[in-house]
Amino acid sequence: MTGAQTAENATVNTVLGPVPAQELGVVSIHEALLSVVPGAEYAFDITLDRAEIFATLAEKLQDFRRHGGGTIVDSTGMFHGRDVRLYEALSRTTGVHIVASTGQGPEEMLGGYFLTPQTDPPTPWPAEKFADLFAKEVTEGMVVPRVERRGAAGLVATAASLAGMTATDESLFRGAARAALTTGVPVSIRYGNDAVRDLRVVLDEKLPAGRVVVGGLDRRDAVAAGAPIKVAALGAYVALDHVGTEDDAHVTDAERAALVAELIEAGHGGRILLSSNATGVAKGHPANEVRYSHVLTAFVPLLKAQGLGDEDVQRILVGNPRDLLSTR
Amino acid sequence: MSRVNTVLGPIPTEELGLVAVHEHIGYGMPGSELDTTWWKTPEQRYAETVPKLRRFHEYGGGTFVDATGICNGRDVDYYRSLSAKTGVHIVASTGFVGGDTALPFFARASVEYLAEHFVHEITVGIGDTGGRAGIIKVGVSRGGRMTDLDKRIYRAAARAALTTGVGILTHLAVDAENAIAIFNEEGLPLDRVLFGHVDDGVNADKTRDTWIADQGGRIGFDTFGYETELPDPPFWARPRKERLDHFLRFISGEGRIRQVLASADANCSPLGWPGVRGHTVNYLFEDLIPDLRAAGLDEAAIKTIFVDNPADFLSIKN
Repeated sequence: MTGAQTAENATVNTVLGPVPAQELGVVSIHEALLSVVPGAEYAFDITLDRAEIFATLAEKLQDFRRHGGGTIVDSTGMFHGRDVRLYEALSRTTGVHIVASTGQGPEEMLGGYFLTPQTDPPTPWPAEKFADLFAKEVTEGMVVPRVERRGAAGLVATAASLAGMTATDESLFRGAARAALTTGVPVSIRYGNDAVRDLRVVLDEKLPAGRVVVGGLDRRDAVAAGAPIKVAALGAYVALDHVGTEDDAHVTDAERAALVAELIEAGHGGRILLSSNATGVAKGHPANEVRYSHVLTAFVPLLKAQGLGDEDVQRILVGNPRDLLSTR
Repeated sequence: MSRVNTVLGPIPTEELGLVAVHEHIGYGMPGSELDTTWWKTPEQRYAETVPKLRRFHEYGGGTFVDATGICNGRDVDYYRSLSAKTGVHIVASTGFVGGDTALPFFARASVEYLAEHFVHEITVGIGDTGGRAGIIKVGVSRGGRMTDLDKRIYRAAARAALTTGVGILTHLAVDAENAIAIFNEEGLPLDRVLFGHVDDGVNADKTRDTWIADQGGRIGFDTFGYETELPDPPFWARPRKERLDHFLRFISGEGRIRQVLASADANCSPLGWPGVRGHTVNYLFEDLIPDLRAAGLDEAAIKTIFVDNPADFLSIKN
């Protein structure tokens, strides 16, 4: 079963170039390396010391690798601190594969260029323009703003507003889906207030559900609504991606482990992904200090206690993300 | 001691000379840096910019005030090199062109934080460039009504202006009642505020320029040159004669010439939009000042508008 969908010659876009999908190893699908709230880079009281940021991230990646990790997916998109050159150096230094993402969202996180363009009237960007912007980050390279393009994005990540998907959020989702269709990379969505509804927006673009990962399905509201099972039943990947976070908004790790067992029981073992949404270095917002290795060190034992065998665990940590990330 | 912050350091007000008070080295909406449509090589940027500044200097221009907001491609290191190599004094802004050009980090910030940020950029420096801001930019978001964020930025700007003594320059002077209410609440004298773009084609009819002047505000006719006569005019263009007549009508009022400033709002090398071909800061010398002379203004009047008024406005008052 493991990796059944991944062709022998499949590759994944990493910051150091395409890598055979079979080499990814254990993948953490939703993490942040350098996470910068747009604008924080200009704040008088925030410093971005590249050497210091590198050292912090390198230590965390080495820890991840030491515990059996192979690949980190930076799912912060193109406008939240992504630093391709830094990630290249980190990957070379630590031996951890790094997959970087294109995409942006939700609406609140966009620059005015996309929301109030210098046109009359200032109509926000439509899906087609976002599709083109994102697709070029796969086919031509990720932008280092106003300098160059480097590497290729390995997925398109976007998000909807927590209060509910706005019109521009929908344009982002549709644009992400179209970019995924034309380039062959997958889409990562973080839903607003209705996971299934938001997933249907990208599916409406004829993107196969197997090319989509829905993040945040370990939010209490999603679990209460039965969203994880529904998303899996639609054929999309279910990311329980705040492993290690136990707060008012999220279920506990124990509840996550039970949810994993439930999904497997329902026949959706091939659609489960785990991650921690850790922020290696956060600027302009509070960091999520959970280690990238938390899933491996603390959560896998909980899964074993639920009765999962090694094969189940391997499928979730290695096979499923490999299938998702392989370009088609 | 009178002084003005330029990107290369404070200079005496007496050295400003003829001032273009509302200009841009290069302007782009936040996020435009992600769209390669607009990218230019540094060679191209300097090639587009340096000749315009050199010409400005040769015409007798002394100071170029860059009204580009924090998130709009403001690039103080670049301005410093341009200033040092061309001899044109460049004054940079802190603040934002409007709430819709403030990125999320600042859009979420409190009035107190915004004020602290502005004060830091004026008194300590912008990032680690060593250059300090000499003016605070604020503005009204698209739509013509001040948003809550616009209002927070205006209030923070008023506090920073009071703390530091630098002036405030506005993008648009529509919805001025709300702006003036904030400045009054904060106790900022309105002669520290230049209400800009009273003359643009979209907003001129909706802008109460004489009312603002009655309250004591300074008035910026600062989109000179964006004319419907251009081969490819922008949507805010206006017939040349209509704008000129508006300006002449305004300064004919009692004492009004002491309150008025003029500029071209041109981009030397636009960052996130095509720009307007044929429109440069040098419109001031090549078109506007000749037009004013032809309309009967004497050299003293021209000096009032382009030298004395901006010197009084830009001079740090504390």
